[in-house]
Parts: sequence; C-alpha cells; structure tokens
Amino acid sequence: MNSFIEQFPVVFSALNVGFLQTLKLFAVTLIGAIPLGLIIAMGSMSKFKPLSKAVKTVVWIVRGSPLMIQLLIIYYFPGLVFNNPVWGGGERGRFFAACVAFVINYACYFSEIYRGGIEGVPIGQHEAGIVLGMSKGQIFFKVTLLQMIKRIVPPMSNEIITLVKDTSLARIIALQEIIWAGQAFLKGSQGISGQIWPLFFTGVYYLIFSGLLTILFSGIEKKLSYFKI
Amino acid sequence: MKKILAVIMAVVLVTVCFAACGTKNNEVNKETTYSIADAYAAVKFEPAEISGDDYDYIKSNGKLIVGITDFEPMDYKDENGNWIGFDADMAYAFAKWLGIDVEFVEIDWDNKVLELDGKSIDCVWNGMTLTDEVKSAMECSNAYCNNAQVVIVKAADADKYNTVEACKELTFAVEAGSAGEEIATENGFKATAVKDQATTLMEIKSGTCDAAVIDKLMAAAMVGEGTNYADLTYTVDLNSEEYGVGFRKGSELADAFNNFLKQATDNGFIEVVAEQYGVQASLIK
Repeated sequence: MNSFIEQFPVVFSALNVGFLQTLKLFAVTLIGAIPLGLIIAMGSMSKFKPLSKAVKTVVWIVRGSPLMIQLLIIYYFPGLVFNNPVWGGGERGRFFAACVAFVINYACYFSEIYRGGIEGVPIGQHEAGIVLGMSKGQIFFKVTLLQMIKRIVPPMSNEIITLVKDTSLARIIALQEIIWAGQAFLKGSQGISGQIWPLFFTGVYYLIFSGLLTILFSGIEKKLSYFKI
Repeated sequence: MKKILAVIMAVVLVTVCFAACGTKNNEVNKETTYSIADAYAAVKFEPAEISGDDYDYIKSNGKLIVGITDFEPMDYKDENGNWIGFDADMAYAFAKWLGIDVEFVEIDWDNKVLELDGKSIDCVWNGMTLTDEVKSAMECSNAYCNNAQVVIVKAADADKYNTVEACKELTFAVEAGSAGEEIATENGFKATAVKDQATTLMEIKSGTCDAAVIDKLMAAAMVGEGTNYADLTYTVDLNSEEYGVGFRKGSELADAFNNFLKQATDNGFIEVVAEQYGVQASLIK
C-alpha cells in the first residue's frame, strides 16, 4: 500500500462514505432550518413584545456563540448535566445531535435574512393588497413572501455555501464526515498510514459541491428575475 | 427551467453515485480457526458478582459501549467492517462475562473524558497509556499490557547492541513526531526522522540506517520469525509504559475488570487472544 495508485481506490471509497455523511447533514439542516427560520423570523417581528424579545434573545445566543460549542453542549450536556444521555453513543445518535445543532444554528441565521427580505418589500405592495381586498394571509403569502424570496436568494446562497463547509465542525462530536475520513489516514487506517494527501483531497469534494450549488443558485436567480420592482 | 432541472439532476446523480460507492460488497469471510466467541466458550470463568450504580446502568442498557480509535493491533476493522484486535476481542469477552453485548464507537481521542462522563461511552479501551492525567480523570483498571519504546537491530548484531551505551554508535531511523523520536533524542542517538514506524524498518532492511526506535507492541507484531522482517529483532527497552482500561470515575467496573483480567490470565484466555494479534510478549503476567 505504498504507491498512490494502490492507495487511491481505498481512500476514494472511504472519503465517499464520509462525504455521504456530510451530504446527509447538509440536506437535513436545509430541510429543517428553512421552515424553522421563517417561524423564528415571524416571532422576532411579532407585535407581541415578550415573544419578540424572547426570540431575539435566542437568536442572539445562537448567533453569538461558536457552533462548535453548541455541538458540544447539545451532544454532551444531556449526559453530563442531567445524567440522561438521550443521544446514545452510536453513530445514529451523534448524527441526530449534529442535525439538531445545525438546524437551530442555521434557522437563526436564516431568520435574520428572512426578516431583512420581508421588511425590504415596499409598504406600497402591502397597501395595494389591502386596496384589492386581499386577506392578511393572502397578502403575506401571495405578495410579501413571493417578493421576499427573490430578494433573499443571494444572501441565502452565501449562507448555504458556508453550511457545506461548516458541516466539518461536526467531527468534534465524532461524526464521521469527510474530514474525519481523510484524517484517519494520517494515523493509519485500512493499511494506509502517515498519508497527508487524503486530508487535502477532501477539499476537492467541497469545491465541486459548492460549484454545483453556485450554478444552481444563479439559475434560480435568473428564474426569479421576472419580478421587476 | 430545463437548466435548473439539469443541475438538480446532476446533484442527485452525484449523490446517488456517492451513496452507491459507499456501500461495500460483503466479501465471504476467510477461513480462520480463531474466533473470539469460540475462544471465550473454550475457557471457564467464575461468574461476575458486581453491584453498583454504574453496573446497573450498563446492565439496563444491555450493552457496554466501548470508546476506541482505529489502532492496529488493538482495535481495527476486518474486511467485513467488524471491529477486531486485541482490545476489541478482550472487550467482547468482558461484556460477555458481564452478560451484556458490546458496542464499539469511534471517538475523538481528545474528547475521551467528555465522552465517558457524558455517558456516550462506558469505557475507553484502546491501548491507552496510563499517564497521571488519565488516572486522575478516569477510574483506571490495572495495567494489562506493557508497552515501551524499543531498539530494533539486525538479529545477527543483537548481542552487541543490548545496552543504551552500545547503541549510541548506531545510526537510527525514527518516526517523525513520535515518542520514539523524543526518547532517541533524549538518549543522544544519531536519529533521522522518517514518515512512520513501518518505514523505519524498511530503512534498516535497506541498510540506510542501522537501527530504529518503535513501539514494543508493534515490534512484537512486525519483526522476528514468521514476519516480513525475520532478520530483525528488538533489544533495549528505552522506557516503559503501561496500557489500561478507563472507566467512569468511581465506577465499580474497574474492579470488575481487574477480577476478569486475573481470571483471564490464570486460565490462559488472554494468552490465546494475544497470540492471535502478536502482542503476547507485552502481556503483564
């Protein structure tokens, strides 16, 4: 197992397994955080002061502390502090804990993007809705939300590409994502030891994946360009 | 629209491809005479009599969760992805003896105390050197294995180089950043750092260096008769380290393990497992 040619298939398949875990975490985070972020945004814009204050405090805590600490707290605190390790020690539990931490963290960031998007829609659009006799719900979903979506595509794509790379933080709770898989060959795994290149090779995966996302988002932007306001 | 669809399809395709690559084919298991289940069944142990909170806790879980890293020959995966190794097999037997299952979890070695206290694992069992830090943070078992940094030389010259003084005239190969490198420097050896322990052996074989400093456990498995390096042997122990198992602070399982270890030593079980992984020379008897 000394030549690159021999090592490559072994490393490649190990990195693929790791990257699959990265993709799973990425997908679950988006599916959870996109709707949750909207709920948080509504909360922070609520006219009921105690609710908006409470939500804003949560957003401040989540955005103001490192995601790595949040991962450690969510995974280890139930066992350390409450003596009840709800996640269990297995791979599945670690993955769920990572998902919860990422969904909460990203929902808070998304909520601020949504808020900016919603508040950026001119008040005239809202008034026009009232004049046309639309209900509050209709105005929100058919006028405000629709126009907000177009406005938030560039900041959201920024945040989502950051998410691709942030998934690597989950290795702190021993979630075996792609960086973990690459690092394993530094110490020795599957007969390959002391190899540095697999760790750096993981960068290629991130680059390709974020490249695909960039293309996807510029496509979406073009698709939404018919809103001329 | 078509373009977006194409991009989405591409992403899905790549994902599916990775998923497909990820699943390993289950190869047919090689014929081996050794199996840890058979080895355990072949010897007799006195039943475990333990009482305490930690024991009740793992008993109610029905499994002992063992925190490990990928570390041959202690814990590593066979071609079917099952954890094997000297530590893995002993952990299997210990759990059997407790009447529960065993589960192996790969952890970040730096977080081992957090994992233990957070109860995501029940013990750390991975060729762990019993240092003062480890002993203060965990309930450690008695040592079950010796490790040391040893000098590797050609078997023909072994008699000449059996003291540290004599070794000083040799040129050494050591692993960069290893305990071996550190101790070679401390002893004033002329050492060249190479990429890993396996490479140090290649250096001696090819004649570019006279000797090497590596882990004794690894030496036992890799040099001497019946190995690829039959003409090499190990002579001087430059230091001594001991391996133990770490349980949660205050856990009665450490005592239970000590009892198990004593029985396994007396009835020869540990010897059988150690021979399978080539670490018999390091056992504490």
